[in-house]
Amino acid sequence: MDVIKLYLHAMRMQIKSQTQYPLSFLMQTAAQLVMEGGEMLAVILLVDRFERMNRWEAGDLYFFFGLMAVTFYLTECFARGITGNFPYLIRTGQLDTFLARPRGILTQVICSAADPRRITCIAVGVVSLVIGCRMSAVQWTAGKALLMAEAILCGSCLIQGLFMIEAIFCIHSVKSVELVNALTYGGRSACEYPIDAFPRPLRILFTVVAPFALTLQLPGSVILGKPLYDWPAWTVYITPLSGVAVFGLIWLWFQGAMRFYRSTGS
Amino acid sequence: MMSYIHVRNLEKQFTVRQKRAKGTMLREKKIVQALREVSFDVEQGELLGYIGPNGAGKSTTVKILSGILTPDGGEVTVGGRVPWKERKAHVRRIGVVFGQRTQLWWDVPIQDSYDLLRDVYRIGETDYRTRLKELAEALQLETLLRTPLRQLSLGQRMRAELCGSLLHRPELLFLDEPTIGLDAVSKLALRDFLQWENREQGTTILLTTHDMEDIVALCPRVMVLGHGRKLFDGALQDLLGRYDTLRTVEVRYEETGALPDLPSVVPVQREGETLHISYAPAEFATAELIARLQQAGTIRELTVQPQNIDRLVAAMYREMDL
Amino acid sequence: MKAYLSAFRLRRRLELQYRGAVLGGIICQMFFGLILIAVYRALYAGKPQTMPLREITSYVWLQQAFFRMLLASDPELLDKIRTGSIAYDLCRPLNLYGFYYARIMAQKLMGSLLRAAPMLVFAFLLPEGWGLMLPASAAGLAWSLAALILGLLCVSALENITMGFTMRTLDSRGMQAMLNMLLMIFAGNILPLTLFPDSWQPVIRLLPYAQLLDAPIRLYTGQVPPEAARGVLQLQTGWILLLIGLGILFWRQNQKRIVIQGG
Repeated sequence: MDVIKLYLHAMRMQIKSQTQYPLSFLMQTAAQLVMEGGEMLAVILLVDRFERMNRWEAGDLYFFFGLMAVTFYLTECFARGITGNFPYLIRTGQLDTFLARPRGILTQVICSAADPRRITCIAVGVVSLVIGCRMSAVQWTAGKALLMAEAILCGSCLIQGLFMIEAIFCIHSVKSVELVNALTYGGRSACEYPIDAFPRPLRILFTVVAPFALTLQLPGSVILGKPLYDWPAWTVYITPLSGVAVFGLIWLWFQGAMRFYRSTGS
Repeated sequence: MMSYIHVRNLEKQFTVRQKRAKGTMLREKKIVQALREVSFDVEQGELLGYIGPNGAGKSTTVKILSGILTPDGGEVTVGGRVPWKERKAHVRRIGVVFGQRTQLWWDVPIQDSYDLLRDVYRIGETDYRTRLKELAEALQLETLLRTPLRQLSLGQRMRAELCGSLLHRPELLFLDEPTIGLDAVSKLALRDFLQWENREQGTTILLTTHDMEDIVALCPRVMVLGHGRKLFDGALQDLLGRYDTLRTVEVRYEETGALPDLPSVVPVQREGETLHISYAPAEFATAELIARLQQAGTIRELTVQPQNIDRLVAAMYREMDL
Repeated sequence: MKAYLSAFRLRRRLELQYRGAVLGGIICQMFFGLILIAVYRALYAGKPQTMPLREITSYVWLQQAFFRMLLASDPELLDKIRTGSIAYDLCRPLNLYGFYYARIMAQKLMGSLLRAAPMLVFAFLLPEGWGLMLPASAAGLAWSLAALILGLLCVSALENITMGFTMRTLDSRGMQAMLNMLLMIFAGNILPLTLFPDSWQPVIRLLPYAQLLDAPIRLYTGQVPPEAARGVLQLQTGWILLLIGLGILFWRQNQKRIVIQGG
């Protein structure tokens, strides 16, 4: 409870400090809209030309795109501390300040940043989701709604975990942090489309290593009424937890790496 | 009874990846010994100055003591706790000010940053209010609480930092170069405040600095670190006594052009009508010098210059081969 | 002239200094290319198009390889604009437009040369239907190289205008991001221009954005035959002249404003 109170307090501060220059804030929020709108335009144009992808119809494709966009940008919005700030905190030695306070590192890192400008990206994702549901005539039930919430939450955990690898690389002063982008932004770009579009190695990558297929796409396919795999129905509630597991493992890895942290600067 | 801060044989190494030499593929690794066999004790309520040239290991010691870094060897306890093993319990009772980095928010009023720190340290509301009032008064921040950090001057910013790091009433305060870049007035105000905090609140203060005047004004006890080793630990006067070998005397005569007859070991420099004479009392007796000065003419003015402390420290570093 | 050349040398040294980061970037870029191609392959399997698949995969690879030509933000320069320290450059005995033009071009050229070579080799080695095809003809290759050089001149002129424009807006970052996205979409990076609706083609191919990479790529794959190359190059040259003219005008006005704003 106490942690949530702290987080909410920090978020209030974030919004306050970022809206100090309202015009600039609005401009950047609008820029985000153009950016994510451009991504969606690509899907619309592809659907216009090709109509379908394997067994997925237009509505299904919009649904998967929207599901990924909502999950990814909710994470960017509320856990920007991890997805954006973390490597910077380590490179500059700013993490020192956090270590000298009686709170968990993760709590403080998450509290250290937010990106409310992403609200427009989330909006694009929601629009895409709604269009997708309409076109694919999704029959909503309480179970499906719950499943969707679980998928988004677990997907967010997965994304945070993957971004944390960048922070770990920074502790070991590995220079090629861009490699991690292949998993994070690459994972986002790939899994905007249903996983069965991809050849085996990529399917394995996004099922086992960075399990977007298990956290987001399998639940998504069940909601659409076209399950990806013919596994027993209950498994779909379990598989998203793989995202949480990945987060946990990477967090352990991070804690191990912290022994090598050598606050640079001064 | 173990002392409040207890450090024995502290060791810390860093592996530095060097730039790869031409023609080889692998980067060379070089191990830098940041601290070797450093031992010391500090009692509660002390005000200790920690000096040494850049890269001597001062910051590393402070970072180990504040639970940020894990040492490679040796024993450390602060108030009976091992900092890096019981980090959260330990840091609850310490305050840290890193001269170069801020813990306050740039774009919002400093009071808002303090409110957040209240929640971070779980300070009770009434306690927080009294403490903030007390600190704001002592640091002359009352009128600045609603001002964003970015609009504060450097001196005001350092005072705001100090306030932030003392809100939770730490028993131990680490200061890393607190007076760097401050003007004279701000420096004096800051020193006054630190003395007040140390005396009235009983806060133990450990200060690293390059500004020797900070040490002279504040610290009865000094520790010198060089190349990761402890080189001196004791009173400032004792330290300076060892290197305080040269005196400067300034003389003005009634007669223009008067020049005392002195040997070459005592160089004389003329600046307008004033003569600057430096000598080592061990080589040339003071009494003899005075006598010779009087022979040369009627002395209008004679002053013995206080030793420049920065020069002394530089001489000391040279001697210690730092 | 020496000052302009030193911009190139400085850039090359910088790029080489961060080769670890460059390598990571290349691998990441290749990965993105593979993902895009996998998607287009899956779509093609359902509804084959008149344009052969290998033209699409080649399009993707060439876009990925020269990615840096489109988007190479110069944070240092943007900072200069934001903080106003650009005023120092005004004191240099140089033509400001020319100086920045050289600087931008240096960044784009050095950034993409270093990255394009390994990526193109990798793409050539991939099997048919995944990789980069050989150029349609020797003439096509020659024309596309010429068009690529014109594309570089064009994108540098375009970015120079973008920068001159963002200097006038209150928030350069938001404006920059929007203009960049526009560029990425209509240069064919997000989606090959050849996959845009057929009815859009006559218009989008005339836009300045299409002159950067789309024009050389179409010449390479033979979608535009060598006989039509002259027209493509003429269009490119026209845009270059227009954009440079606009840019010089823009900077001249900005220069006046900066002088007035003073320190």
